[in-house]
Amino acid sequence: MEPPRVRCVGIGMRRSVPLNNRPQAPILSNDRALDVRLYLLTCCLPVSHLTLDDAATLLLQLEPGDLDDLARLREALTTLVFENRVPITSQPHVARAARLLGTLVEGTAETPSDAFADVSRAIEAAMAAVDALASAATLSPPPAAKAVAATRSAVEPVVTSAAATEPASVAAPEPVSASAPVPVAASVARTHAPVAHDPALDELPGDTDLDLLGDFLTESVDSLTAAEAALLELEADPSHEEAINTVFRAFHTVKGTSAFLGLGRIAAFAHEAESLLSRVRDQEIAYTRACAELSLASSDMLKALLDEVKHAAAGNGRLRVPHGYAVLFEALSSYDPGAEPTGIVGAIAPEVGDRAETSTGASSPASANDSGPAAARSSAASGEATIRVRTDRLDRLIDMVGELVIAQSMISGDSELDQRVQHELTRKISHAGKIVRELQDLSMSMRMVELRPTFQKLARVVRDTAVKAGKEVVFNVTGDDVEIDRQLADLLGDPLVHMVRNAVDHGVEGPDERVRAGKSRTGTVRLQAYHASGNVVVELIDDGRGLHREKIVAKAIEKGLIETDKGMTDSEVFNLIFAPGFSTAEKVTDISGRGVGMDVVRRNLEAIRGRIDITSAPGKGTTFAIRLPLTLAVTDGMLVRVGQERFVVPTTHIHMSFRPEPSMLSTIVGRGEVVLLRGELMPIARLHELFDVPDAVQSPLDGLLMIVGDAERRTALLVDELLGQQQVVAKALGDSLGKVAGLSGGAILGDGRVGLILDVTETVALAQSGGASQVRHAAERARANHAA
Amino acid sequence: MSTATSPTVDSRAGKYLTFFLSNEEYGLEILKVSEIIGMQPITRVPRVPEFVRGVINLRGKVIPITDLRVKFDMPIEEGRDEVIIVVQMRGVQTGLVVDRVSEVVAIADHEVEDAPAFGAGIRTEFLLGIGKTGGRVKLLVDIDRVLESTEVAAIELALGSAS
Repeated sequence: MEPPRVRCVGIGMRRSVPLNNRPQAPILSNDRALDVRLYLLTCCLPVSHLTLDDAATLLLQLEPGDLDDLARLREALTTLVFENRVPITSQPHVARAARLLGTLVEGTAETPSDAFADVSRAIEAAMAAVDALASAATLSPPPAAKAVAATRSAVEPVVTSAAATEPASVAAPEPVSASAPVPVAASVARTHAPVAHDPALDELPGDTDLDLLGDFLTESVDSLTAAEAALLELEADPSHEEAINTVFRAFHTVKGTSAFLGLGRIAAFAHEAESLLSRVRDQEIAYTRACAELSLASSDMLKALLDEVKHAAAGNGRLRVPHGYAVLFEALSSYDPGAEPTGIVGAIAPEVGDRAETSTGASSPASANDSGPAAARSSAASGEATIRVRTDRLDRLIDMVGELVIAQSMISGDSELDQRVQHELTRKISHAGKIVRELQDLSMSMRMVELRPTFQKLARVVRDTAVKAGKEVVFNVTGDDVEIDRQLADLLGDPLVHMVRNAVDHGVEGPDERVRAGKSRTGTVRLQAYHASGNVVVELIDDGRGLHREKIVAKAIEKGLIETDKGMTDSEVFNLIFAPGFSTAEKVTDISGRGVGMDVVRRNLEAIRGRIDITSAPGKGTTFAIRLPLTLAVTDGMLVRVGQERFVVPTTHIHMSFRPEPSMLSTIVGRGEVVLLRGELMPIARLHELFDVPDAVQSPLDGLLMIVGDAERRTALLVDELLGQQQVVAKALGDSLGKVAGLSGGAILGDGRVGLILDVTETVALAQSGGASQVRHAAERARANHAA
Repeated sequence: MSTATSPTVDSRAGKYLTFFLSNEEYGLEILKVSEIIGMQPITRVPRVPEFVRGVINLRGKVIPITDLRVKFDMPIEEGRDEVIIVVQMRGVQTGLVVDRVSEVVAIADHEVEDAPAFGAGIRTEFLLGIGKTGGRVKLLVDIDRVLESTEVAAIELALGSAS
């Protein structure tokens, strides 16, 4: 292994500095390293060897105006925190001192002298905390001693390996200053019972930089997600060194940064979680099942804590303590590998929500059977440099490239250009065209992310559900490198969780039942993703008992969803489980199938323009296939002409288009026009009337009727002609216009002009609520009344 | 909304882009102008007030276009020359159709007078004031007021159709 390095990531700056000969020092390098300024400052400066005492001494000699020295002091303090060289209880104070120094150095402090005094007080408080820890250790009431021991053990790797550095300043010689803003008792109390009552822990620090906080939250959640996947790998292969390091890094990063931001509770908790992992890494304890449960629960707890920070930042700044915090903290800090494992976990599980379940009743662990290739991939992936870009900038870039394509096609299609004469020019233009198209592909790909993070979360779901249901399940993932629009990947997560849970809970049989059915004890749930004809297909396949057609039919008849299954294909029958209310009333296992909230799953998928199909064979298993568009940014539309105007109708809403025969048309009480198509009566809505378009086709016999809307409310829209199918990028019409009834937005068409995208549902509603002019006048009156 | 416009009322000195509607010269705070573009094909949008001509594609962005002549109830001349001034207010871009753009002038505070009241029928709340510089009168437009929202317009429309 190469020597550990600290990679410094900052604005326009990236350097690598070896940590002076500390073979055991935690590896801080992390590609998703936070953009925290302290990274820039820590290494390779003599001040990095300062202790807290030195800092206090130095501070005495300084004036608020000595900016250079104050800056160095700040570096030293941030180093102290980040390298874990001060006990966890004093880290918030040190971090606060560093922040205050920052305001002094940058000149943003309102009254430098006050800020300066605050720095002194923060350092005193930090020393007091250190001191309290030391004296608690000597007085040694058991719990406090344990806490100190825990703190020490975490500090140790640094201490032992960096003999040149002071012994972590655990024993501070200075007497406790009475002016310390945080009472000593509170600091001690926090160490061994962290939910006890340091009020400072229950609020966000007043001077929190919200941007920094936002970055911290995003990064932390990302690294925790990676940590979770690594934990699962670790469970399959406890000697997996890279996985341990990944988890360790994640916890460590969260700890260091949260301490820097003054989030004491998170720092304290991450510290405990990290300590446990460091003991595993140093092979002091084995990564047992109990240890795994604890680590996973810790990861959940950290996420819960981060959630609280997010809420606090958005709300009143108050931080609540998530359920089960104290129990879990205690379990972590007092973790004993020899103890009865299920006891601890059982005590925690109910409190940290439904994700960390007890292991009782499970005969053997479920495993994420993906460790080999996944490990290779994840180490490869961590070598890729990424950069975060604001999505609005990205969208703007994509817009501009779209414009470039249009501009390019205008040039290449220009009538002045005579290919026979201007060979050279033609060649150059077509060359530029190639580049532009490549640029377009590239820009469209920038919103794309791999499905891996989405799938990784599911490994955890499979594991937890299997443990809870007492099943043995192997989870296989293929195609998690398939890319999909970021927004879609996010929205796909929830429905998949639901489906995976169902597959494990209801699809796969218990081990004994499987053996009786002549299958292997261990069931398989496979998740695979691939591209197919411009879509991404995500398939969830289990080898369980399959869907039972007769039972579904019986249930559907009982629920009044259908009268008979005559003429229904298997696929149509299976689709009944998506019907609202199909299975919520009774136990789902009665029909040996799924259905818990499957209507919600389908609705969610339809909201992202996905489609879901089921195939199933009794006794063999079930496959759910989800088809998704590559991106939501692009809408498949049918371009229609009405008069001289063009509209885009999203193809998902179009059932068919046809030119009616005179016999199909009739009117109702002289006004309402209807068309009769295959026994179904549908009202006709004239788009040109709804939208006041002049010179449009008046008779349906000369134009086309386009059937739109959902099954209950189909409507025939009268348009002049279809101009063709086109993919368009939907855009808002501009804020000052607001929402225009019947339209969902605009799109830039191939000729550079704007086409309006129809909101089919609204258009149908408009048509049904009466004539266009009536509607407009009613709306105007309503608005006038409203304004008056 | 009124708070956003009040600071500009306090000090009306500054640079103005002037343009013509018919033979009247108007001024628009230069800081609000993001660009001037030639007339281009406008996509009509149904169900919006009459003064909204529609939307155009401004390099990939869809922006609405307001016809100031219609907005100010001035007669429409067929075949008149037109240009579009793109203004930016609170991060939102909007195009204004005017006859032609004239020049950029600096107007000092003492050269600006409040718009006189003309009595009923003539609306002056769109005006920041009247600038007198270079021997000509320039009507300084409070563009935020002009484009405030479609609600005002909807009321006018409703009142108009009622009378």
